[in-house]
Amino acid sequence: MTKSPESPTKRRDRVARVLHGLAVALLIFALLAPLFAFLINAFAFRWFYPQLIPSEFSLRAWQSIFGPNSKVVGALWSSAAIAIGVTISSVIIGLPAARALGLYSFKGKRIVEFLILSPTIVPGIAVAMGLNINFIRWGLAGSHFGVALVHLVPVMPYVVLTLSGVFANYNPEFEEQARSLGAGPIATFRYVTFPAVFPGIVVASLFAFLISWSQYILTFLIGGGRVVTMPILLFSTSAGGNEALTAAMSLVFIAPAVLFLVLSSRFLSGKSGAIGGFGKV
Amino acid sequence: MTQVNLRHLRKLYPGAQIAAVDDLSLEVPSGRLIAFLGPSGCGKTTTLKMIAGLIPPSGGEITFDGQDVSAVPAEKRGAVMVFQNYLLFPYMSIGDNVGFGLKMRGEDKAVIKKRVGEMLELVKLPDIASRRPTQLSGGQQQRVALARALITNPNVLLLDEPLSNLDAHLRDEMRELIVSIQRDLEVTTIFVTHDQEEAVLLADQVALMFDGELKQYAAPEEFYQRPVSERAARFFGGVNFIPAERKAEQILTPIGDFSFQAANRETAPTGKANLTIRPEQLKLNEDGAANTVSGKVRSRIYVGTYTRYKILIGEYEVEVIRTADMPGDINEGDEVRVTFPADRMWLVEGG
Amino acid sequence: MWERFRIPIMLAPTLAVIVFLFIGGLGYGLLVSLGWQPRIGQTQLSLEAYRSILFSEQHGPTFWSGLWLTLWVSIASTFLAASLAIASALLLRQTFIGKRAATFLFQLNLPVPHIVAAIGMLFLFSQSGLLSRIGAQMGLFSSPGDFPILVKDKFGMGMIFSFVWKEVPFIGVIVLAILQSLGADYEDLARSLGANAWQRFRHVIIPLVLPGVLSASILVFAFTFGSFEVPAILGVRFPRTLPVTAVRFFRDPDLNARAEGMAISIVISGIVFVLVVFYMWFSRRTIRQD
Repeated sequence: MTKSPESPTKRRDRVARVLHGLAVALLIFALLAPLFAFLINAFAFRWFYPQLIPSEFSLRAWQSIFGPNSKVVGALWSSAAIAIGVTISSVIIGLPAARALGLYSFKGKRIVEFLILSPTIVPGIAVAMGLNINFIRWGLAGSHFGVALVHLVPVMPYVVLTLSGVFANYNPEFEEQARSLGAGPIATFRYVTFPAVFPGIVVASLFAFLISWSQYILTFLIGGGRVVTMPILLFSTSAGGNEALTAAMSLVFIAPAVLFLVLSSRFLSGKSGAIGGFGKV
Repeated sequence: MTQVNLRHLRKLYPGAQIAAVDDLSLEVPSGRLIAFLGPSGCGKTTTLKMIAGLIPPSGGEITFDGQDVSAVPAEKRGAVMVFQNYLLFPYMSIGDNVGFGLKMRGEDKAVIKKRVGEMLELVKLPDIASRRPTQLSGGQQQRVALARALITNPNVLLLDEPLSNLDAHLRDEMRELIVSIQRDLEVTTIFVTHDQEEAVLLADQVALMFDGELKQYAAPEEFYQRPVSERAARFFGGVNFIPAERKAEQILTPIGDFSFQAANRETAPTGKANLTIRPEQLKLNEDGAANTVSGKVRSRIYVGTYTRYKILIGEYEVEVIRTADMPGDINEGDEVRVTFPADRMWLVEGG
Repeated sequence: MWERFRIPIMLAPTLAVIVFLFIGGLGYGLLVSLGWQPRIGQTQLSLEAYRSILFSEQHGPTFWSGLWLTLWVSIASTFLAASLAIASALLLRQTFIGKRAATFLFQLNLPVPHIVAAIGMLFLFSQSGLLSRIGAQMGLFSSPGDFPILVKDKFGMGMIFSFVWKEVPFIGVIVLAILQSLGADYEDLARSLGANAWQRFRHVIIPLVLPGVLSASILVFAFTFGSFEVPAILGVRFPRTLPVTAVRFFRDPDLNARAEGMAISIVISGIVFVLVVFYMWFSRRTIRQD
């Protein structure tokens, strides 16, 4: 059976496709490589250079993490409590502001937008240091509440930005229609506004949670060593030389964050509303 | 069956120089269907929303059956509004949409279900209660919006441009539906439109608004027989305006003197004004008629169901529309005799 | 009646957070850096802390070497991440087998915190790390010492790796979103007008994604410049990036050191703010001229 010769265009296409595939593979591999490194390290016991695979595996690190003397569980709770508190309060605080920015124009709007976005371009170190002294005075330093309060600073811009993107695409006449049919303010919010902005709330919550969950320096400066969140614990563990423990702890640390992302990924496809907000910066 | 009264109603938006609605007074008899008609921006939707309670007035008062409703919030007023783009709640089924008003009143679930069924029958869309708004066509969505508004037995039904989003054939169906429902339920209905044909077809009375002010409030035929101004006449498609001077029962114009026998002529302007007559009312080539002058056909456009002529009389051009002409009956360049029937003319102030 | 106050009331809670916590914190920090210590009776403002960190023999070199290092790391990371992000988005937006999986995996590191990213770089690039071992297996190295120093190095390479690894998907996702919502129609149009791939890239794609990339780059630059945990894990003793130095000074029991740490933080904030504002102004002008 004779094969017809490949035309030069077809061959070029094939080569292009192969190269493309290789490039994508390389990209994904580069992005996943650290994950492999964590997985191997987390289960490694004896792993001498230059072995690629450890000669002895062990669950020691995991036993240590979930064992009786572990500080990990406490740190997880602290991180979670703070992150959830920050998420809920930032959405409640930011929702009306986002609505105002998304639906209305008013005098001074640009200044307000700039103000609300400014924590994204000013590093939090100076803010945390400046607050540290006063927080000590007011008894907020070293408390979960104080740490959560500080976390609001980097979180608010992202929450307001995301939600205002949603409101920009929102038709407030639906609310008028509901009122015309007899719905009071609460019923209107419940049946009309909330379902419409819910995807935006999910995305904003995701941002808020991730920012708070990942915070190190703000927690460090305000928590003063008394508030031990996962990043604080991880930081000191990483300096300790126990690579298996560090790796295992890292995996435990990122698991809830990745889970949250996967669960809310449904709402991220309509992300252009939130992303559109970024274009405005 | 509620009577609605607007007295000196006014709306001035903060920062605006001109009022969106200014000194609007009219009375809507109970159980009637009336239209607010005017070009976009004339304030008709603003007025509708004020009656609904969705926009607070800057001045004046609104009464339902003699009771001032300005302190009554929109959700308690019973003036239900149907928006131009229907605004069916996308996250609810049709049944939940229609039953919404009753749910807000805390009505029992079984009762709601029954009433929803009844309303859907009324708008001729049975069996769609479980579907979603995105699955319906525009015409169907509108009927659902109507059912949703009517289920609460509103005092006043407010429709914002109910027919503008529909194509011609659906428009006829919807028109009939609205009129028949309104007559059956005897609900006081106000609808807003920019289309004079729609206003005339549906409404018992038409309120013509320009620039936030009420210009003429009358039965539809008034706008054709006795328009209140040149602008009003033009809005209804009147195109023939000839400078004139009225002297008692005579109208003197540069193209001739006509006897003036229109009904209610005592209400027509006196002195200098513009003579106006509808293109459909002018007659051509009538034998032995009074008020006749000669002219020359400048153009002829055959539109199928009617023919439009532009005829030059002296220095003025008038438009004549005749429905029975076929091509060839009257041609361009022909000399014709144009009759201005004495009882079909009217006078309007210049501009 | 209170219609007029509706918008201010809606904005109030958020603005309260911004004004009291953010601006308040910054403002108070500024005062402290100027020597304001009311509790020990020090209310006289002075620039001593700034003089000390900028010009003194003791601290000057620390500051300036730290500044160059921090600038280098931030600018290099931002530029590299933005370029690679655009390239990645172009790769991923085509249709190919496994596109959904690839796009999903591309975004997987978004929720991973920077501290974990830094640790991951240690595991990968340290002299006894994974890459070194792979190289040893291939016969390139015989001992860990043979592997080049890529993390905990003087040039901030490790930090750059870490930031780029994290920020490529961050910027990349934004570029993808822009391309998917706006790109197709414009490109088809350009094609039918005769533009080849490179021309489309230059005249359609780049202008389309540049505003989004610019905005994201600003965020990335500001973040990397002020980052503490990544340099703390991947950096060396000298030079230290500015945030690390600032924190060290701030936690020193000596009150003067504290003021100096505060001063460095204020300088950091000032530099980022000025650079960002300048960058925004400049890029807006350039974009408008296009």
